[in-house]
Amino acid sequence: MIERNFKIWRGNSKGGDFVNYKISIDEGMVVLDALKLIQADQANDLGLRWNCKAGKCGSCSMEINGKPKLACMDRVTDYKEDSQITVRPVKTFPVIKDLVTDLSWNYEQNKRIPPFKPKPRENGAKYRMQQEDVDRVQEFRKCIECYLCQNVCHILRDQEKKNKFVGPRFMIRLASLEMHPLDTEDRIPAIKNEYGSGYCNITKCCTEVCPESIKITDNGIIPIKERVVDRFYDPVLKLFRVFSGSKK
Amino acid sequence: MIHKFDVVIVGAGGAGLRAAVEIPKEYSCAVISKVFPTRSHTGTAQGGVCAALSNEEDDSWLNHAFDTVKGSDYLGDQDAIEIMCQDAPRAIIELEHMGMPFSRTPEGKIAQRKFGGHTKPENPNDPNSKRIPVKRACYSADRTGHVMLQTLYETCIKNQVNFFSEYFLTDLIIEDNTCKGVTALDIATSDIHVFHAKCVMFATGGYGRVYRITSNAHVGTGDGCALAYQAGLPLEDMEFYQFHPTGLWRLGILVSEAARGEGGILRNNKNEPIMEVYAPIVKDLAPRDMVSRAIISEIRAGRGILGSDGTYYINLDLTHLGKEVIDEKIPEITGFARTYLGVEPTKESVPIQPTAHYAMGGIPTNYDTEVLADHKGNTVKGFYAAGECACVSVHGANRLGTNSLLDLVVFGRRGGKKIAEFLKTADYTDFDSDPKERANSTLARLLNQAGNEKTSAIRRELQENMMEKCGIFRNEADLKQMKSIIKQLKQKYNNITVQDKGKVFNTDLLETIELANLLDIAEAINDSALNRTESRGAHDREDFPARDDKNWMKHTFIRKSSDGEETKIAYKKVVKTRFEPMERKY
Repeated sequence: MIERNFKIWRGNSKGGDFVNYKISIDEGMVVLDALKLIQADQANDLGLRWNCKAGKCGSCSMEINGKPKLACMDRVTDYKEDSQITVRPVKTFPVIKDLVTDLSWNYEQNKRIPPFKPKPRENGAKYRMQQEDVDRVQEFRKCIECYLCQNVCHILRDQEKKNKFVGPRFMIRLASLEMHPLDTEDRIPAIKNEYGSGYCNITKCCTEVCPESIKITDNGIIPIKERVVDRFYDPVLKLFRVFSGSKK
Repeated sequence: MIHKFDVVIVGAGGAGLRAAVEIPKEYSCAVISKVFPTRSHTGTAQGGVCAALSNEEDDSWLNHAFDTVKGSDYLGDQDAIEIMCQDAPRAIIELEHMGMPFSRTPEGKIAQRKFGGHTKPENPNDPNSKRIPVKRACYSADRTGHVMLQTLYETCIKNQVNFFSEYFLTDLIIEDNTCKGVTALDIATSDIHVFHAKCVMFATGGYGRVYRITSNAHVGTGDGCALAYQAGLPLEDMEFYQFHPTGLWRLGILVSEAARGEGGILRNNKNEPIMEVYAPIVKDLAPRDMVSRAIISEIRAGRGILGSDGTYYINLDLTHLGKEVIDEKIPEITGFARTYLGVEPTKESVPIQPTAHYAMGGIPTNYDTEVLADHKGNTVKGFYAAGECACVSVHGANRLGTNSLLDLVVFGRRGGKKIAEFLKTADYTDFDSDPKERANSTLARLLNQAGNEKTSAIRRELQENMMEKCGIFRNEADLKQMKSIIKQLKQKYNNITVQDKGKVFNTDLLETIELANLLDIAEAINDSALNRTESRGAHDREDFPARDDKNWMKHTFIRKSSDGEETKIAYKKVVKTRFEPMERKY
């Protein structure tokens, strides 16, 4: 058995403070195990979201010693014996209770995005797609919606521009649609005007915290920004479009 | 608060969402889920979804149906199985059209790989020739379920389905054999909401949390099955619970069957490949029930590997596959092994043990997902069930890998279609009694009853005993003992004090309600297991080691008796179409 000191933020939408807990844990336990033990033995009313306990559902996002993480994938023994493990809710979204925050804003953003619109099949022929093309979409599909990227995005976290920018998670969602080999919907004007792609200044904080190691900035946001630039700011392409009558 | 919807679907996993997609726009549809929809347990399915597409090699739906029937140890209803396997290729193409990015073959078709229990005859002209593994599982890297779930959710958003996320099911309202709606608790406020509906579908998932070692997420507490049972409806084939052979040792977290599909080998403490003995032809690709029993048998014979805490495990050896295959084909396994066990699968074996995984049994339905009121096939008006919570039965005594995702999309859709048909003439029926009052009084009782018992302690006692006495190997003495343990635990349950008296995100209260559900589910599993004096599929009676087709080619229908004392059991005949029962050897 190993002893560790935990400092957990307790409170609600009106405010709160850190409370100290000391517990004994087994080797191999993750922070979520520790929190559940504290909940079972010392604080039955500790507000906590969790589900799969295997890094797949994205429920247990929180800030552990200042780093946004999934509590279920963070080994307690990775922290030094004499250290204190400080746990607080993600900052970008309003607190409901203790470590539980109100994530509903994210689900509203998802609804704003025009859905997948596949090209029509000719005479019922089957689609053919190359793995190379599907790879890009599959990478974005790894997203488990833990919203840690949304939590660290400066535009949402510090500048509080939730009304201007949909955040990295939904840039990835947009990229997964725009890069889908079968999709025909044009979302580029909306990406610029409504979803605020220009706000992202590519600091890559989102990529750094992604538990699924999605290259959010390099593979998702930058290519999408490039498409916006090509459409709206490239003078050569603009001329080409004037003469050819092409939309894209 | 009272809501009115034409149809209320409870559960936002694959079955619930697929059903919701099918509801025509002119009808109002609500989906209630105790977690955000994309956190549902469907999202953890890794390996694939089977369909005889013949993209990689010749195959036919009849091969798939044969395997499913044989895998079910001949307890699956063959009419339903034929429907599922015949519909599978269409279901896959449909998912692709919704935007699901399946992995591809070099020609750009949907790629397929081998999976446990999926075979075809070696000689295509001789159906009785030796059966060899076939590439039938379609997949999206190693997160097929996750991608399917997201695709279905987005299609629901497109169709403007109303979601009630983080609403916890508290009551199923059935009066005069008519389903009139449900009540649910808003987890953020503890307010009770009444959902008055013309019809209800349960797609509430499984109940792995009844066992100590399980691959199931926190949500897998069988709420839907338990509420149907508490409402006096029967549950079908509850004795058949599947243990997945490769759970991470001590934790139960799933190591996908794809690990063996790609060539992983189970080895004992002498480094011998154990499946050579138990299934000489298909070896590590044998069905789950057989591999799980093989692992426990090896451990019992003293050939397990002793772990640091005094318990034993078996090794899953992936080292010969090479870093490239492991990183490309089964990357998540590496993450789990590293994080939870500190093991590097490219260099050392992964310690595993069987983990409670999937409920073959559940709420009995016909193949249009209408819930059966009895073993004679009468239905409950306006009540449907699909997915793991339901028992059609396509999985019989043992489910084949990849058939669960298929079950979700095939029967989710069929349910949606049947509901749409029902809604053409259906209307709301008034409640006889106030459902809100009933739900509130249950909550008040739990919050105010005095006693020293704790939810977590009772749950642990239940889970540990179920694992030991009603798990992979069973016998009369153990099951009888388990029966009395469940009775005692039910009494203790009445002395639980919910510590958290708050209204906001009261997980203490929710877990206490879930525990009542788990106790009822455990009772149904255990009594059904005690009653079935044969071994078939996942149900293995040490005292009755043989399959007994003469007496047991029938489904168990267990009912909580009205006075709350003893359960009652009836039977329904297995439906046979073209596949004659034979010995199940691999």
